[in-house]
Amino acid sequence: MRSARGKAWVLWSMVILVLVTLALPTLVIIGASFTSGDIIRFPPEGLSLRWYRALWDLGGFRAALGRTAYVSALCTLIAIPVGTLAALALARRRMRFARTIQVYLLLPFTIPLVVSGISMMMLFGEARVLGQLWPVGVALCLINLPFMIWAVSSAVNALDPELENAAMNCGAPPVTVFLTVTLPAVMPGVITGALLMFILAFNEFLVSLFLTDSRTVTLPVQIYNSIRNVITPDLAAVSVVYIVVALAAIWVLDRLVGLEIFLKSK
Amino acid sequence: MTPMVELDNVTRRFGDTAAVREASARLERGEFLTILGPSGCGKTTLLRMIAGFDRPSAGRILINGQAIDAVPPFRRSIGMVFQRLALFPHMTAAENVAYPLKMRRFDPAEIPERVERYLELVRLKGFGSRRPHEMSGGQQQRVAIARALSFSPDLLLLDEPLSALDRKLREEMQLEFRRIQQELGVTTINVTHDQREALVMSDRVVVMDAGRIQQADTPAAVYRQPSNRFVASFIGMTTVFPGMVAEAPEGIGEIIVGDVRLPARLPAGGLAPGTAVDCGLRAEQVRVVAPGAPRPETTIGGLVERRIFEGDRLVYEVRVPPLGNLTLMVFDHDPATHAEHEVGARVLLGWNARDLFVFPKETTENATRQETGPAS
Repeated sequence: MRSARGKAWVLWSMVILVLVTLALPTLVIIGASFTSGDIIRFPPEGLSLRWYRALWDLGGFRAALGRTAYVSALCTLIAIPVGTLAALALARRRMRFARTIQVYLLLPFTIPLVVSGISMMMLFGEARVLGQLWPVGVALCLINLPFMIWAVSSAVNALDPELENAAMNCGAPPVTVFLTVTLPAVMPGVITGALLMFILAFNEFLVSLFLTDSRTVTLPVQIYNSIRNVITPDLAAVSVVYIVVALAAIWVLDRLVGLEIFLKSK
Repeated sequence: MTPMVELDNVTRRFGDTAAVREASARLERGEFLTILGPSGCGKTTLLRMIAGFDRPSAGRILINGQAIDAVPPFRRSIGMVFQRLALFPHMTAAENVAYPLKMRRFDPAEIPERVERYLELVRLKGFGSRRPHEMSGGQQQRVAIARALSFSPDLLLLDEPLSALDRKLREEMQLEFRRIQQELGVTTINVTHDQREALVMSDRVVVMDAGRIQQADTPAAVYRQPSNRFVASFIGMTTVFPGMVAEAPEGIGEIIVGDVRLPARLPAGGLAPGTAVDCGLRAEQVRVVAPGAPRPETTIGGLVERRIFEGDRLVYEVRVPPLGNLTLMVFDHDPATHAEHEVGARVLLGWNARDLFVFPKETTENATRQETGPAS
């Protein structure tokens, strides 16, 4: 009895410790962003939305936020069809070199981001598209595509292949089978992967650093540039913007797929 | 009239092995046919070729007299109940049943009424708005039947859909399948490894083994006149033992087993004296003869080696010294009304001559490599 209670006590204190450690930086930064003082610190000196206001008024940040949203959306829009079809093909079609193709598609994972960044900078430079915004979206899609493929693959693997036969037996030609049975069945994986792609692109820094200049700078790069100058509480406010975006993504995921499924990593 | 389904020397090879070898069979309109065999005998491969998910390596499949090799599965008028049911998880029961109607371009005004009618047929009235995961195994089974039938297919295929159910539900669903099939008169092919299911449900049974059709006949004939050793031992509990033909007129002849001569039913056409044969005796045809009771045609003494209580019957394993110490299985139904025998007891066994099956000896060569027709 005593030892059981002792065990529970130890377990609970560890859980609380972990939760606090995980949440503390976030809580600190949220608190700091509401300061009315001039320097970033916790606890904040007085409460105000001053730095959110300042952030909003700052042309550079707003434009960078807009560009990041554009780049992330582009990355996600490319990843959805490419990643879904690739995952389906890898899991379903008995292809020659399936294994090789799988490894090839996961290659971006094994290459350090610095290397990807430099090589894509050179490639886009040769193609004379460096300095435009859309190549950044393409690049972010490339480096993160394995996440999309993984998310969809796990949904495809959970799918009974007999479902497609059943649909055909019901009179559905192959394209209709795909649209009415296969796609809805793997939809949770597609949604999970898409949100993951969006968030990853929204946060991506290193590759973006190589591919952007002052006209195309995205939010993470902009933040980095600001830190190099002077650290003001508007940085804390930007961080809160990030936290809000991440929370929004989780909320969307919960509404569309159900968090239980996501946590079971279906 | 042309048969509903005709298999014309259908063979399916996977690499070097043949899953189905030169299967030929005919299925008349409205018939309920069961393909029975152990797992890996090729029965499911055969079914999938009829459904169109697989193609024969050689031979033809005809439906309504038309060769259908070039017809893709979604243009065949075939409903199928899958082994794992394969209900669409993101659709309700009603949407599942409506799916084939939409795909086959039924008049949209007619669909809700049809869905309702078929849900009623499978006794699921009022369950239409449930999703598959909200239903019990038996209910899901019924949705799968309704989906396979709602578009009035020419042919219904059942791919062991009952194998996952527990025994009670399975026996209930067997009768349910039969009721629905007879109500609609739909031609049906069922695949199973369960001999009871095959005998209970079917008009005709096709017994398969090692890719080959061994026998195609009515349930009673498959049970009473098995055409070879495999069929005899696969259906029912049969003791198989070697013997030799002594005298061989048409009909009842004599077989030498161990030290004795036994009267037995010889296959049509007769066998030359001296031919080595396999004999088969079903446990339910052998009786323990009580002293003073009327004697069957053949009687022989033995020693009880084991007895197993199975509720509705006792199973004895009896060693018979004159038959070369052969151990025979014997069922004794309703043992409460007469004497039970302990292990070690001497008993008199008896059977009728026509119940002793005799088949020409099958060499391994015959059973596995012979290329023409079942061993005869």
